[in-house]
Amino acid sequence: MLLPFLAFALILQASLPQTSQRTIAIDEAFAAEAHLKVGDRVAIAARPGASAAADMVVIGAIVRRGADPSQVARGDFVARLHLDQLQRISGYGDRVDRFAIATRRSGDIDRTLLRINHVAFGFRAYRSSDIAVETSRTFQVVSRFHRAIGVITIVASSIFLLCIMVLKVEERRRDIAALRLMGISRSSVVRSIIIEAAVVAVLGSMLGVVLGWATSLFVNWHYQALYRTPLYFSIVTPPVIGLAVSLSLILGVGAGVLASMRLVRTPPLELFGR
Amino acid sequence: MSSLTRPRSGALVSGSAKSDVNPLVSLREVRRDYALGAERVHALQGVSLDVERGDYVAIVGPSGCGKSTLLNLVGVIDQPTSGTVTIAGKRVDAMSDREATSFRLHNIGFVFQRFYLMPILSALENVELPMAEAKVPSDDRKARAAELLEYVGLSSRERHRPSELSGGEQQRVAIARALANHPDILLADEPTGELDARTGAEIISLFRRLNSDGTTIVVVTHDEDLANATRHKVHMRDGRIVDA
Ligand SMILES: Nc1ncnc2c1ncn2[C@@H]1O[C@H](COP(=O)(O)OP(=O)(O)OP(=O)(O)O)[C@@H](O)[C@H]1O
Ligand SMILES: [Mg+2]
Repeated sequence: MLLPFLAFALILQASLPQTSQRTIAIDEAFAAEAHLKVGDRVAIAARPGASAAADMVVIGAIVRRGADPSQVARGDFVARLHLDQLQRISGYGDRVDRFAIATRRSGDIDRTLLRINHVAFGFRAYRSSDIAVETSRTFQVVSRFHRAIGVITIVASSIFLLCIMVLKVEERRRDIAALRLMGISRSSVVRSIIIEAAVVAVLGSMLGVVLGWATSLFVNWHYQALYRTPLYFSIVTPPVIGLAVSLSLILGVGAGVLASMRLVRTPPLELFGR
Repeated sequence: MSSLTRPRSGALVSGSAKSDVNPLVSLREVRRDYALGAERVHALQGVSLDVERGDYVAIVGPSGCGKSTLLNLVGVIDQPTSGTVTIAGKRVDAMSDREATSFRLHNIGFVFQRFYLMPILSALENVELPMAEAKVPSDDRKARAAELLEYVGLSSRERHRPSELSGGEQQRVAIARALANHPDILLADEPTGELDARTGAEIISLFRRLNSDGTTIVVVTHDEDLANATRHKVHMRDGRIVDA
């Protein structure tokens, strides 16, 4: 796992003055795990226990982890070395597998890509945003999967809502019979039941959204601490709220229609029972 | 309070005006059979009855003799197997559900043994309900509902929910509600059936007052005191009227 930090090492070497005391940068998870802080002196070697070949270095910086989903599950720790030291310790000489190029203006990217791919045989240059998209494919699948679970949950709870609506409406069959006998029309009865169902559905889904939001806070707090990452594991976005509210509204109103239709089709005197 | 029973103005008067000559309610040779499995129950076996405008009639008789069946036909919540029912000059015995519903809303006031007030609505809102259905403007119906509650002696209970009212008070709200749309006739099936003697007496005197203010009332009852307070008693036995 030497490669990801090579580019950084290059930049470090270019920008930092050479001092007698060589420094390295480590990521915060590494620092926390090994109880290291800036200024600590450590021995580094290419292989465990190879103390003869070890260099003494000072921890020069502790780097915050990026919000990269692909890093979360991996237990890797990252150490960044100056390139010359890395080359020497690893015995790789001047070979690298990957390196990053930053352009001054974003407009130059395409031209640079073209040029590199044209002249450097065996090399392939990619735009960093394309790589980001490529690596987050998995996460899109996961997120679709989550959406499916969400929809199933809402549909299942709507069936529950339907049962409750039917029971609630059934409970009031005599009241509804009395309304019908008073001269309240079928459509008025159905309308009022639907409105009630809609209000219940909207309030319920709002409550669900608030609950989901609170759970998200907890989930993020817990997993961010566990994986030492600023990554958000769960977010409640406006489209999610929209989906939840509109889906339960549609299903709730459907439940209201079904429940009330059953009743208003029965002649009111029969509803009264005897 | 004369406004409560004043004939309606405008287009709705036509039916009422015509019935001033004829009886308000007229049943001719009415039969009502119920299919009970393979058997047929002859609940009404040829009943003819007239109720004049302003009358106050009690229908009495032993249990199962067909009193409720008769009242339901007058209330346009049931239809006869044969015979005719005319109310305010209009044949009501073969109306569609939609017509019957609208007729009940505008012409019939129904009071049940159990009061069937809507539990989530206040007393005032319960009285407003039939007027809302009849598309009476909000201000008018609030004013009339308040007036009706005052008439039945419940001005101080306007904001109360049914659960916060006694049985007698709930029945008075139900009576106010039945009167909301200026019905031609007030029908009551055992209105004192769920009440103790004292609250029953309040309802009896309220009905008397309503009748003397011009409301036509038909009650079905086993309550002697209520029956004795009416102008006429109609005795029934086995689906027939005896000595009407
Ligand atoms: N829906 C129905 N199906 C079958 N039979 C019925 C139905 N409604 C009424 N009946 C029968 O018709 C007859 C008259 O019933 P009704 O309810 O009119 O009596 P009632 O005089 O009001 O009795 P009560 O004083 O007990 O209320 C009874 O024999 C009753 O069992
Ligand atoms: Mg009865």
